[in-house]
Amino acid sequence: MIVTLSIVLPFIAAALIPFIYRYFKNIHLGWFVLVVPVVLFSFLATYIPRVANGEVFVKTFEWIPSFGINITTYLDGLSMIFSLLITGVGSLVILYSIFYLSTKESLHHFYCYLLLFMGAMLGVVLSDNLMVLYVFWELTSVSSFLLIAFWHHRKASRAGARKAMTITVSGGVAMLAGFLMLYVASGTFSIREIVANLEVVQSSVYFVPAMCLVLLGAFTKSAQFPFHIWLPDAMEAPTPVSAYLHSATMVKAGIYLVARTTPIFGGHEVWFWAVSGVGLLTLFWGSFNAVKQFDLKALLAYSTISQLGLIMCLFGLGSAALHSGYSTESVIYTQATFAALFHLINHSTFKGALFMMVGIVDHEVGTRDIRRLGGLMSLMPFTFTIAVIGSASMAGLPPFNGFLSKEMFFTATLKITELDLFSLNSIGVLFPIIAWVASIFTFIYCVIIVMRTFFGKIQPDRLEKPPHEAPFGMLISPYILVAFVVGIFIFPNVLGHYILSPAMASIYPMFPSVEDMTPHIAAWHGHINPELIMTAGVIIIGVLLYRVLKKWRPIYQLIPPSFTLNALYERVITSGEDVSGRVTNRYMNGNLTYYFVYIYVFFVALLAGYMIYADAFSWDPSKDSVIEPYELVLVFVMIMAAVAIIFAKQRITVVLLNGVLGYSVAFFFVVFRAPDLALTQLVVESVTTALFLLSFKYLPKLKNEYLPKSWRFAKVTISIAVGATVTLIGLAVMNYDRFEPISKYFEDSYNLAGGQNIVNTILGDFRAFDTMLEVVVLFIAGLGIYTLIKLKAKKGDADVESK
Amino acid sequence: MNNIIVLPLIVPIITATLLVFLNNNIKLQRIVSLITMIFVACISVVLLQLIQTEGILRLDFSGWMPPFGILFVADSFSVLLVLTASIVTAVCLIYAFSTIGERHEKMYFYPFVLFLIAGVNGSFLTGDIFNLFVCFEVMLLASYVLIALGGGKMQLRESIKYVLINVVASWMFLVALAYLYGTLKTLNMAHIAQRVAEAGQDPLLTVVSLTFLVVFGLKAGLLLFFWLPGSYSVPPTAVQALFAALLTKVGMYALFRTFMLMFPLQPEITHTIIGVMAGATIIAGCMGAFAGRDVRTIATYNVIISVGFILVALAVGTEDAMAGAVYYLVHDMLGKALLFLLIGTMILVTGEVVVKNMNGLIRIYPLFGWIFFIMMCALVGIPPLSGFIGKVLIGQGAIETESYVLLALAFGSSIIVMYSLLRIFLASFFGETSINEEDKMPIPRGAMASFIILAIFIIGLGVGAEGLAVYVNDAAYTLSNPSVYIDAILNTNK
Repeated sequence: MIVTLSIVLPFIAAALIPFIYRYFKNIHLGWFVLVVPVVLFSFLATYIPRVANGEVFVKTFEWIPSFGINITTYLDGLSMIFSLLITGVGSLVILYSIFYLSTKESLHHFYCYLLLFMGAMLGVVLSDNLMVLYVFWELTSVSSFLLIAFWHHRKASRAGARKAMTITVSGGVAMLAGFLMLYVASGTFSIREIVANLEVVQSSVYFVPAMCLVLLGAFTKSAQFPFHIWLPDAMEAPTPVSAYLHSATMVKAGIYLVARTTPIFGGHEVWFWAVSGVGLLTLFWGSFNAVKQFDLKALLAYSTISQLGLIMCLFGLGSAALHSGYSTESVIYTQATFAALFHLINHSTFKGALFMMVGIVDHEVGTRDIRRLGGLMSLMPFTFTIAVIGSASMAGLPPFNGFLSKEMFFTATLKITELDLFSLNSIGVLFPIIAWVASIFTFIYCVIIVMRTFFGKIQPDRLEKPPHEAPFGMLISPYILVAFVVGIFIFPNVLGHYILSPAMASIYPMFPSVEDMTPHIAAWHGHINPELIMTAGVIIIGVLLYRVLKKWRPIYQLIPPSFTLNALYERVITSGEDVSGRVTNRYMNGNLTYYFVYIYVFFVALLAGYMIYADAFSWDPSKDSVIEPYELVLVFVMIMAAVAIIFAKQRITVVLLNGVLGYSVAFFFVVFRAPDLALTQLVVESVTTALFLLSFKYLPKLKNEYLPKSWRFAKVTISIAVGATVTLIGLAVMNYDRFEPISKYFEDSYNLAGGQNIVNTILGDFRAFDTMLEVVVLFIAGLGIYTLIKLKAKKGDADVESK
Repeated sequence: MNNIIVLPLIVPIITATLLVFLNNNIKLQRIVSLITMIFVACISVVLLQLIQTEGILRLDFSGWMPPFGILFVADSFSVLLVLTASIVTAVCLIYAFSTIGERHEKMYFYPFVLFLIAGVNGSFLTGDIFNLFVCFEVMLLASYVLIALGGGKMQLRESIKYVLINVVASWMFLVALAYLYGTLKTLNMAHIAQRVAEAGQDPLLTVVSLTFLVVFGLKAGLLLFFWLPGSYSVPPTAVQALFAALLTKVGMYALFRTFMLMFPLQPEITHTIIGVMAGATIIAGCMGAFAGRDVRTIATYNVIISVGFILVALAVGTEDAMAGAVYYLVHDMLGKALLFLLIGTMILVTGEVVVKNMNGLIRIYPLFGWIFFIMMCALVGIPPLSGFIGKVLIGQGAIETESYVLLALAFGSSIIVMYSLLRIFLASFFGETSINEEDKMPIPRGAMASFIILAIFIIGLGVGAEGLAVYVNDAAYTLSNPSVYIDAILNTNK
């Protein structure tokens, strides 16, 4: 129950914001909002012991039971980690934002979106039903969009918001398709039930496609290569948002999804390579690009991308353990997953602190550009401390938590090379190498953050404001995070036991013992191992490379600006727009003749095409009655008239020839003994001819259209083809006599309807309803023409709408 | 036999005819037309309930038993559409009250709208294919007038195209009817279905069904949509919204009836062709919307995209897909009406149609802006709004039948829908505003009310999807089991 409430509470709070905002103008709105995550965090924290004992909390509410979509909240070890992160970091970020955002901003919008996000994100991690998960997933994208565009008067904010929304929602749509495939394969949307009936899903044809689609969702959301391009642009959001959504929580939704679906997909070769490969590539690419950034926030964005890649990679490596089921050998590989979860938490602590540090610098100095910064150490000592501890942890140095998880990451990459699976023995060695290189770049940008901001010479004239230390309030949150950075280093196993190991049980539900999968975390293993040597190497080479950064910086110019992924994305979009615009304008040219050509060509192609394909044409003249000579004459007259219309030079000739056609049809009715039809036809023909003649008086003369020969030829061909098609089908239809016509029934009209003329009884009784509606049609037509004549647009009317 | 089935058609016709004679009393016209639509909506709700308890209802006019007379048939599918159409019309009327202007009102605007909806409702309800033709004509004639009403230059230019193409389509309809009667010798839809089943849908019958495909494809804007972007851009906003919400839906409805009820036995031919056409429609629509720079173009091509989207469900043809199609049809009627009302209002208050030339609207009209945002999310299919469940079900159907290309196109199209609408939202609603608080043009209250009503429906349909599930499932069941329909018409004598 509490679990469900924790999803709902932020939404309720978001709905209340406008009222609170109106009535408590003097108090910063953030103080009210702060209550929500703090309360939720404390509530959830009380569950930790029970979850650690392996309990899970499930509760189902019906939403759309007819289609298997129910809101099932599910709290287990994995959900616990994420919900604690969401509410914990959420509390700190809101506390920080109270000092960061002034009351002049439209705070009610800001906090409303933030609460929406919080609720949605809790929904993602606490839902068992895939569809409900998707609902909340898209809501996080939407609220992220709104938060990035919070300062929507800035062009960059709007562009960043659009890019983020486009990429994440596209991934979401792919993920939805993947979920639907899982549903079709398994018959349920519940993750637990799918895991319980794994064989069905794994043997289905949908298994690999579903896996790839779900991964697309995860990769786009977690900014994995090559979808990472939205994240740096998302930094246009206010810094608290960047700290919260774009480093600590939302971007980890993809990681959550990977972790959550590992029991389903893990152990498959495609999964292993996709997750660990993409993760590794992202790790490298992010760290490599972070070094070249000048904007501190952009630097942190790339660093986040790289760290997300690291975690992703670890989950991929850990999934190998599922390949051959439970055994003492496979348990070793679960340590990668353990490391992933551990680093997930560590990353949130140190990256959150660093973002807040950058926010402080930006807030107090007015710029985030490292070319303008420098020498702030003495002026902002507290902020400096945050930066040093956060960066050191990120670089993987002791005595901070990042060191522990980084060591475990190295262990995992070294271990995986020993695995004789998925052709790892040949290329598995790439894992430790790339990981090590990426760590060097990580080290370098960590040094850049500290050195370029706080050391060197201060350049007061290039700063917006005179620098000074941040107010106390802004320092609280980062210091709490820094305390965690240090605290976790000192007591890592408390975290391991209470938080991480229950989550391991969720990821490896089929493994019997959680204890096996919970390694003892230690900073010093009593001897010098390869991991430690790797770390030492990172430091030495990192320092060296930093000293000569200027020398090798030009390698970043090796990739021309027009070949970056960003430029590629922009180019695809703009050229896509161009091409579609040109194509659309070419065929939608507003010319009616063209439209008719399309329609008729389609008509002929479809009908004649199918007739030929299915050999549906049949014509058997044997049963037809004899053709009389005067009928032939009539036909000849009609053909002549029809052909002559095409060559007529004057409107009046056209009208008269058209009349000839009509009257000839009337003659046919006479010949075939349908006098009432003949009469009707005669009347219609006379009236229309007269009307045409009357109104054509007001029209300009027919102009001789000049058309190129080919166009003329095409039109003739199409016309003939349409006529031929209609006739041929008609002829085939003539011979179709399997059924007795319903009109046989009407022949008894005298007894049934009391009228001897069958046509009259049909019109007036059997199908009188049609007749009535036809009268209505006439009425509308008459009235319509009246209005058309009466209601003319006045001259000089501003025709605004039809610009 | 149940006489109330005819009311959704006959009540609007009667009130429309009466209102023609009261054209100078604008207030009375407004009240009567609105009440008429609310009444029809209520009747549809009653019908919907009746169908759940008594099964498919029918009304044989003048007591001539099927297959000889004309009849109206009410099943969940048709009545759901009648209900939605009536609600949408009522809302568009509310919008029109404050925006259409006295000149139009005195020129029989309300009677024409009522005639239009009579034709639409008749098309949904009829069980006789010739009567369908006649109902189409009622609807078309009214639409011809509505599109040209006002007599602006652009209006006349586009309406002549609209009229000509539709006259040709009507001619094709007649030819198709002749072929149909020439082969099957009957007009009653259930009877047609029975005879087609008896004959095993041989190639010639498939040819006949394909002629109907061309006809209804023209009406629905399935691939043959060339008339649509121009003609949907010229009439007054309220009329645009009505057209966008209703007209293509009637064509789609007819396609569903043709290929699920009457000619369902050659799916490898007919449904494959529909699938190809739907896919091509989606692509063409996406290209148009993607490149669109003004709100009108973007909106009209969005109509085309959704036509393709819904007909993917027909191409797929499973029961899940049918349920999805029903949900999506209802959603799309509401969503497209709202889209056109909103962009019409944007043009009204700014005097601009190009997206770039408007900006910062959300600062001056916050509620208006947020409703646009909700509508956008709904059309994209972002949950928990109305577009979601239909999309999910259609997707399920496509996966079950392994129609991956259609799945990719349909789902991919929602990204283009989002991109194109985001363009409007980011450029026109966000950003600095160039309008002062003082000289802003107020949005009429009636217009605002109509947006709010539609927005509530969109949210309600998404969150409360379960509420409709009974009816939708019944509709889908009947669609995918034609024998249910046939039995209700031919094998019972109520």
